[in-house]
Amino acid sequence: MIRKEAITIAVEKINNQPIVSANGFISRDLFEVCDKNSNFYMIGSMGLASSIGLGVALKNTKKTIFVFDGDGNILMNLGSLITIGITKPKNLVHIVFDNSSHESTGGQPTATNKIQLSKIAKSANYKVFQVKTKNQLVKIFQKIKLVSGPIMIIVKIEKGGIISKRINMEPTKIKNRFMDSLKK
Amino acid sequence: MKELTQKQFFNFLFNNGIENFIGVPDSTMKHFIDEGFKKNKIIITTREEEAIGIAAGMSLSKSYSLVFMQNAGFANSLSTITSLVQLYQIPMIFLIGWRGFLKNDAPEHTKIGKIQPKLLQALSLQSKILNEKNWKASCHWALKLIKGQKPCALILKRDFID
Repeated sequence: MIRKEAITIAVEKINNQPIVSANGFISRDLFEVCDKNSNFYMIGSMGLASSIGLGVALKNTKKTIFVFDGDGNILMNLGSLITIGITKPKNLVHIVFDNSSHESTGGQPTATNKIQLSKIAKSANYKVFQVKTKNQLVKIFQKIKLVSGPIMIIVKIEKGGIISKRINMEPTKIKNRFMDSLKK
Repeated sequence: MKELTQKQFFNFLFNNGIENFIGVPDSTMKHFIDEGFKKNKIIITTREEEAIGIAAGMSLSKSYSLVFMQNAGFANSLSTITSLVQLYQIPMIFLIGWRGFLKNDAPEHTKIGKIQPKLLQALSLQSKILNEKNWKASCHWALKLIKGQKPCALILKRDFID
């Protein structure tokens, strides 16, 4: 499964619930696969998607907030796991698309094939799930409905695939429509 | 800033629409943060950028935040301020403790403390330096700016040596 396939499956299951997506190819794939007002594309500030998602989750307790993160992104802000672990948002689902590489910058390796992110997240009070196949990914969304967050789903993906187009939307427009979607 | 003033400063912002106080502690603003803990309104993060991210998420939910940090942490945050806060025009108040303001402060603060005003200027981030007399007017100024969707900074000088 490549990232774009995984994102396609996840978006279909998430439907109109808010998604905060990490910079780089993850946001680009999400934009191309299914652009929605409820998607917040973080195009800069690498590492901070989970922090932004935490802020949204703490203030919107009746909604489930999804973060689309990458392995490079979360390794850059591991402290975020600590803060999520102590604030314990029940409504935060942190999905890490893990290809053990910085694919957006040319495929340089990350450390997720040498250390276990799942153990770090578990010790930070997350409920952690790992999936490797499309079928497992489809099923996990049903399973987590019964689980109280913070939840991490590590989706093992393969490198490669066609590069999605850049996000050609003004950042203030991304912000405004996301804010409007939260009111509904 | 005196202990009592710091407490009044916190309560003024808290009573005027600032709902969240997030950041990395600095001894310059110890009493401000202590007052926030009493009101159960403080989130301590591991790094300053993280605090800015959380405040951004809350701001997107129409809940205003103050992000506190030392000026060293402000320097850590430059790229987050340009590529998140300013790029998307997300309102929040930065409260920055200014180490290195006194020339005989600890050596690690000297250089970054010296360029602190230039960093604010380079970012075009509007700011006011607080004192015992102007803090309330400065709060009014900051609240007005964030209600107009503009981020801004309040600077607290470290005017004592421990």
